Amino acid sequence: MSDEARLDDTDELSEWQRLSPWAVLLLMLSGGATLLRQHMPLVLGAGAGLAMMDRLGSRELAVGGALLLFFAVLISLLYYRRFRYRCDGDVLVVRKGLLEHREFKVAARHVQSVVIQQPAYMRPFGLVQWEVETLAGEGSRIALPGIRRERAELLGRRLSRPQYEPSAQGQASEVQTSRADKTRSEPIYAITAKAIVLHGLASRSIYLIAAMLSPLVRPLERWLHDRLPQLDLVAWLPASPWIAVAMGIVAVVVFLAVLAVLAAWWQFHGYVLHDEGERQVQRSGLVHRQERALSLVRLQVVEWVQTGLGRCLGRGYLVCHQYGAQGGDAAESRRFVVPGLTRSQGEALTARFWQGYRPVGSFRRVDPSYRRILLLRHASLLGAGTAVVLGLLVPLPLSPLAWAGLGLLVLVISAALAQLRWMATGWAQAGDFLCIRRGVLGQRTGIFPQQHLISLGLQQSWLQRRRGVATLHLELAHGRQVLPYLNEVQARRLADTLLYRVESDQAA
Amino acid sequence: MTFTNAALDPQRLPALREARLVPVSPRLAPCQAVLRSLHWLFLSALAALFPFLHEDLAPWQPWPAVGLALLGLFAVGLGWCEARRRAYGLRQHDLLYRRGLLVQRLQVLPLARLQHIETLSNPVERLFGLERLVCFTAGGRGADLVIEGLSRDRAAVVRQHLLAQLERSGQVHDGASPP
Repeated sequence: MSDEARLDDTDELSEWQRLSPWAVLLLMLSGGATLLRQHMPLVLGAGAGLAMMDRLGSRELAVGGALLLFFAVLISLLYYRRFRYRCDGDVLVVRKGLLEHREFKVAARHVQSVVIQQPAYMRPFGLVQWEVETLAGEGSRIALPGIRRERAELLGRRLSRPQYEPSAQGQASEVQTSRADKTRSEPIYAITAKAIVLHGLASRSIYLIAAMLSPLVRPLERWLHDRLPQLDLVAWLPASPWIAVAMGIVAVVVFLAVLAVLAAWWQFHGYVLHDEGERQVQRSGLVHRQERALSLVRLQVVEWVQTGLGRCLGRGYLVCHQYGAQGGDAAESRRFVVPGLTRSQGEALTARFWQGYRPVGSFRRVDPSYRRILLLRHASLLGAGTAVVLGLLVPLPLSPLAWAGLGLLVLVISAALAQLRWMATGWAQAGDFLCIRRGVLGQRTGIFPQQHLISLGLQQSWLQRRRGVATLHLELAHGRQVLPYLNEVQARRLADTLLYRVESDQAA
Repeated sequence: MTFTNAALDPQRLPALREARLVPVSPRLAPCQAVLRSLHWLFLSALAALFPFLHEDLAPWQPWPAVGLALLGLFAVGLGWCEARRRAYGLRQHDLLYRRGLLVQRLQVLPLARLQHIETLSNPVERLFGLERLVCFTAGGRGADLVIEGLSRDRAAVVRQHLLAQLERSGQVHDGASPP
């Protein structure tokens, strides 16, 4: 876009703008499809839809459908008419609402991230969905659900520059700064095909997909039960039932792994991370293109995540947390994620996000009494679970020797889990930064400047007081980090240091 | 972000251990006892009214209610002892609150992180002349520190002090600015 055109657009943004009419049509169609998808089980479940069709008749249903369509069009038109936005200096003003009129104002200094999404159906029209998130967190997101891409980019630039002056001189300086941004923008990480495949295998998508497909197990089992006797499987199935079962398990795992890789491809195809000075911008997506900007000033915690398989494959990913992240670890897809990284790439990127961060060599472990507590917890939980299942729910006539063997197995598994968790739990101070690691087979390491602490809690049970240990709860912008069973003196010293860092930073 | 790495002498840092904590109002214990008693009475009444469908079990009907009432009595007693041990402290740069009997917890909220303050009270608390001071920080995840058991006058004084600190740091009129 030329500088003149950009200047025109800047002027244009000061006036009230509407969404694209195409966007309203697309939103109505996609909203209808979502509604239908969400209520599909209700409509089709147990033949309710067919029963309703029989009872009402096709003509009545057609009239009902036409009425619904009429109301949908009416509501969409009202939505289009009421929805408007403009920029007042560095403040975005959005007005919307059908029955209740609402006005939102977002000042540039309160913006922590901007997301541009382009679903496949919006691409032919050159439209995008634009979202802005303030310091109040994910609950405060404001979306413009269908504007031109150029305008979305301009809005992003406008809100990333709090010192914007709406004078002619200011406009000129904006053009110059955007040109400077463009020259400074450089790709610092681009994903490769191998990295996508490894990320797909190592991410938690495989478990999520397995959970999503689990309702299909019973219908599949019924289908196999009905169809299997009719098929001549004996000819190609292995004679040994054990080998057949093992092959079945391998086939399921391979199927899930392929789906996980496809999911990673869908989300991270063409992933590129750009450094635009204070802003880090990532673009990715096979069909649903997404552009996410992260303000480094607002960055609170960077997490280096490796699943168990990821550690074997030598891959992990970074999750950048800002204020008010909701949903915990499960909502990672809504965060700024850098996928498919080796450990050295992850460390290099973290150091780039936070000047002065140096990777830590070794982590301090927590008190060994934590391991004994974990052993006790795991053994009692597993033992009680096993006893309830085998003793009451599925009563098995086991000999006392078998029960003893089972008890020993529970103890060994509990000890292994306790040892792995104790080994994974650790912390380290690296200059101004604090690193906290947790996990069992997979590991998550939170890295944050000490002055980013929000509040802290020092907790001691009567057993901990006897052993001279304490648990430190650190509240951060994205959630809580816990350091369990630290030596009490060490815990108090760390708490004092963290409070000093926060309070002296604010005073400075 | 610029990198600073000033050396700190841990021995000279203000220690949490040395912070002076003031016990909350002694009226908190009876207030908590009333609130907990109401809660357990409701549960016991539910258990007493719950119909046993099996005839053989019908004679045992009062026992769950009795068990819950005894458990409630124990919880009220524990709550009373715990409420008597609660304390809070105000330092120049942070607010402290200690609670718990078997599991003790000391919460510290740096005043630099404070975004806004609320005082709340339910009818039972008002009956005992108590108020809760609720402190919120950035991020919109709800209250970060709730100090229970402050007398009305004390709550007003603490609230005024915190507001004065907030005004001094210029955050009152710029609530959402990053700490």
